[in-house]
Parts: sequence; C-alpha cells; structure tokens
Amino acid sequence: MSAEDVKGPSAMAAHEDKSAFGFVMAAGLFFVVSGIYALVIAAKLQYPTLLGSVSWLTYGRMRPVHTNGMLFGWLLAADMGLIYYLVPRLCGVKLWSEKLGLATLALWITIILGAVVTISLGFNQGLEYAELPLWLDILVVIAWIMFGINIFATVAVRKYQQMYVSLWYILASILWTAFVYLVGNFATMFTSGVNQANLNWFYVHNAVGLIFTPLGLALGYYFIPKASEAPLYSHRLSMIGFWSLAFVYVWTGAHHMLHGPISQWLQTVSILFSVMLMIPVWSLVWNFFATMKGQWHQLKDNVPIKFLMSGTIFYLLTCFQGPMHSLRSVNAIVSKTDWIVGHAHMAVLGAFSFFAVGGAYYAIPRMLKTKLHSQALANASFWMWLVGGLSFFVSLWIGGFLQGLQWNDPSIPFIDTVKFMQPFWAVRLIGGILMFGGILIFFWNIVATFTGRADRPSEAL
Amino acid sequence: MINKVNKSSMIFAVAATVFFWIGGILTTAAPALLDKSWSKPAPGLKDYATLAKSGDADAKAIMEGRAIYVREGCWYCHTQQTRTIEADTIRSGWRGEKSPVSTPDEFVYDQPHMFGTRRTGPDLSRVGGKYDGQWHAAHFRDPRSLVPGSAMPPFPWIANDPKELAALTAYIQSLGRAKNWRPSGDYEQ
Repeated sequence: MSAEDVKGPSAMAAHEDKSAFGFVMAAGLFFVVSGIYALVIAAKLQYPTLLGSVSWLTYGRMRPVHTNGMLFGWLLAADMGLIYYLVPRLCGVKLWSEKLGLATLALWITIILGAVVTISLGFNQGLEYAELPLWLDILVVIAWIMFGINIFATVAVRKYQQMYVSLWYILASILWTAFVYLVGNFATMFTSGVNQANLNWFYVHNAVGLIFTPLGLALGYYFIPKASEAPLYSHRLSMIGFWSLAFVYVWTGAHHMLHGPISQWLQTVSILFSVMLMIPVWSLVWNFFATMKGQWHQLKDNVPIKFLMSGTIFYLLTCFQGPMHSLRSVNAIVSKTDWIVGHAHMAVLGAFSFFAVGGAYYAIPRMLKTKLHSQALANASFWMWLVGGLSFFVSLWIGGFLQGLQWNDPSIPFIDTVKFMQPFWAVRLIGGILMFGGILIFFWNIVATFTGRADRPSEAL
Repeated sequence: MINKVNKSSMIFAVAATVFFWIGGILTTAAPALLDKSWSKPAPGLKDYATLAKSGDADAKAIMEGRAIYVREGCWYCHTQQTRTIEADTIRSGWRGEKSPVSTPDEFVYDQPHMFGTRRTGPDLSRVGGKYDGQWHAAHFRDPRSLVPGSAMPPFPWIANDPKELAALTAYIQSLGRAKNWRPSGDYEQ
C-alpha cells in the first residue's frame, strides 16, 4: 500500500508549482550568499585581521548572518519549497492556494533580507539561532502560520484518505515548530540566567531535531522511493520511527550544558533521552536502506539517489555521534571544541542539505516540465560536496578531539591549543571552498534549467 | 488506533502535539520550578540592571559593556562557565588557586545569558580582575601584540571610542566576581 501512496497517479491534478519553485530558487540564492559568509569567517580564523577594521564584516557579526542564512534562508526555505511540491502530489489535489504561497515567499525573502541587515548592524538579541530582533520574530511566526494554513488546507481536501509518512512528519513539524519557535524567541524574553539558557538550548536543539529533522526525513521518505522507483520497505517501521522521534527528541536540550551550571538530574535526563534517539534514527535508516535493496546499482548514475543515500549515511553518523557526545566521559573531551562544529555541519550541510539538494534535483525539472540543464554538472556538484564535506568534517573531528585532550591537561597554555588548530582550520577552509563550488554549480544548474526550460522536452510527471 | 491516526489528520495532530508537550513541559517549565537554585541569587551577586536604572555610574558602564559584548558576538567564541571538570577550575584559576565551579546562582540576572558553546578563545567566567585596564585597551586594538598566535579579530571601533572601551572593560572586569574567590583579593582594576 505504501508504494501506491508514493507512485499514485498524482498527475491527475495539474500542479502549478509556482510557490514550490520560487522557494527553492530563493533558497539557492541564499545558499550562495551564506556560503560566501562561511568562506570569509573560515578564512578569518587563519587571517584574523582580514576585513578586520569594518565593524559589520567582523567575525562576531558575520557568523550569525552565516548561521541564520544557512538555517532559515537556505535550508528551511528549500524544505518549504519541496513541501509545496510534494504535499499536493501525495494528496492528489492542487496546492490549496498558490497566491498564499507566493505571499509567504515574499514575506520570507523580506525576513531574510531584514535579518542580514539587522545582524550586520549589530542588532543581536544574544541568543543562539534567536538573534533576530523582535519584529522579525513576529514576521517569522506570521509566515509560518501562512505556510501551515496552506499545507493543512491541502491535506484537508486530499483525495487519498491514507496519509503517507511524509505527511505525518510535515504536519507534526508545522505544529512543533510553532511551539519550539515561540519558546526560543518569546518565552526567553521573560527569563534569565540558567532558566533562560535551558529554554535557549531547548530551542536550539529542537530547531534541528523537530524542524530540520522531520522536514528532511519527510523529503527522504518521499524522494528516495520516487527517485529510485522502488516502494518504501515498511510503513510500520516508519511509524515506529515517527512516534519514537515525537516522544524522545524534545527531552534532550540540556545536553548542551553537560558539566555546566545546570541541575545534575536534568543533565542525566538529557543523556538518557539522547541515547534513546538511536531508536528513531536506526529504524529510519534501516527503512531507507531496505528500500534500496536490489537498487544499489542506481547509485552509479542517479544523481538524486546519490545525494539522498549519502545524506542518509551522514544522518546515521550524525545521530550516532550525538548520543556519544552526551555521555559525560566523551563530553568532557569534545564539548566546546571544533569536534562539535564538525558534527553540526554534518547534520545541516551533510544530512539535511543533501536531502534537500537531492530532492531539488529530482523535483525542479518536474516543476518546470522540462529536463535538468546538465546531469554532468549535477554529478560534479555531488562529488565536490562529498569530498569537500568529508575533509571539512574529518579535519574538525581530529583537531577538535585532540584540542579537547589538550584542554584537559592544564599544563598546556590555552594559546598553544589555538595555534595547534591552524592546520586543521586550513583543511577545513579548503573543504569549504570545494563545497562552495558545489553550491555555485547547483545554483547555476537550477537557474539554467529554468531559463532553458522551453528548449528541452518535458519529462514524465 | 494506529489505523485511525493513519487516516484522520485531526487525531494525528492532537496525538503528535501531546507527545511533544510531555517532554516539552517536563524539561522547560518543570526544572525551573523544582530547582530553586536557578532563581536564588548568590550572596555577593549584584543586579547591575536595576542599579544602573537607579543611577549607579559603575553599574551603568557594566550594562553598556555587556550590550557591546552581545552586539559584537564575543559570546560565539568565549564561554562563561567553569565546568565541573578539574582542568576548567585550574584554567580559570589564578596563581595556583583553583577557581570555584560556576553555579546557577551567579547568573540569575544574566539577560541574555552568555554561557556560550564554543571555546575558540578561552573561557571568561573568572576573567574579572585577571588583567588591568591598559592590557584590555591594547588587546582590543591588537590582540596579537599581547598574545601572539591569537585568532581574535581587532576591534578598532571600540578601542578608538573611550566610552565604549571603558564600558566593555568594566563589564569584563565584573565577570565571575560574585564569588570573591581569590584569597588575597588581588584583582586588577
């Protein structure tokens, strides 16, 4: 039955895909801009005086532009675009309102541009991932409500009664995100100290765990069976994954303050639930791998599948690291080091961006009723991302782990552990340059697919 | 049940939200109510925000300095927590004296909190009084003149603004001072 859901005759509704395409294009543009910020701040660690006399180009102001740009400008916008694409197809109806979708897009672009300007000028609220000023926070809530109404209304009038697991993740994530965002950006206004930090880490952790994870997995559940033309292995297993994620993820925020000034029992609770995270993760990875059984030969020349399955492996690795970091003995070494930076980049840039890019390469030609501009370029972008990403992640893990060991030996002066990181930061910068090349090729490829759409015959929908 | 949830988006949405809120409430609202130490200030802790409003010039400078610390994103590279790890207490310490670990009661008035997650530079939870004002002035202008190999950017627009420089220095010198932990009280000004 699950195969029918995915491969159902969705072509019977004529999809316009304007909102979907607009969001993915805007996301691609913000990907490029945030990538430029990424390269500059990576270079600044090696050349601290680079652009150093201009306040809005200093490290402490460019870093939040980079993180917010990547998370909300690129990844969330790309996820939203692909959701505008896949929800109508899973429901067998048109998107409830393209007009509302385009209005949401206009608002979203306004928010991201507003974020770049305000953060550059130093209007920073001082909380990670919640840096934006209050008026932008309010606009984000409005945009999210507009997005939610459109998706829920589409699901409400669906032709297929059975809801495919991607819809579960999307609907739940829209609800969870609303609460997670309110806690992280509004409840924090009325608290201080450890209490506020606890809410802040609840938000930071669940921004990844209950926004980017379920949306990314929804893309995986849709695009892996679609792009490989193989039915999903098990609907039941996907239910186990979903409900265990819904229950377990939310408890783990305090693991960001292990050994820190926060109640020991809360630290222990967060460790227990962090370890339990392996249940949803492994059940999902098992499901994706079993779906590909007998289809692995497709990895050779199916670019979306390359991205989607590499993303799955990055997801498995990320979510194996996470529980390990939360063990007190491991945490005492890796916490506050660049190991964690490598881990965070593998989650967002490895796992979830790979899901989004794989989905975009599959969906964009179908949105435009044409063929992808260049399979060879898409393939090149994959290899640049994979090689660049691995050198980035691995160099930070090795360097970060060794730096953590050095910190635990107080006879080593702190500055020596900074100098020690320089070669690892150099490899990270090179990996970053490679990945930025991948971003540029990806963006060029989708722009050229759009501008040349009339010249190429359309693919089957 | 599973089949019902499968087919009704209403039941599904309610169930998913309830699941979320069990963990959500028990880890956000409950701990603050259960653990009183989160909201009880340490004996020597000063509420600089309130003092500044009542006209205290020193408190005003510290609050302005704190705003600069937030604005420039210092907290992305400096943590403010001496953890329950031996090496942390030695690194935060002074002349062989280990510093006390950070406790929730020292941060009751911190808004926004500045605990941080990454130590690109050293932890600052006990830095107050470690270096004198002249050191900080030179360090903000050119960190590498005092610490060769440092990855910290220069902050000329602060170093060249006497008011901002004084405020930021006042804030740095206030850090970790609620616990008067140095036996000889030899804090730099």
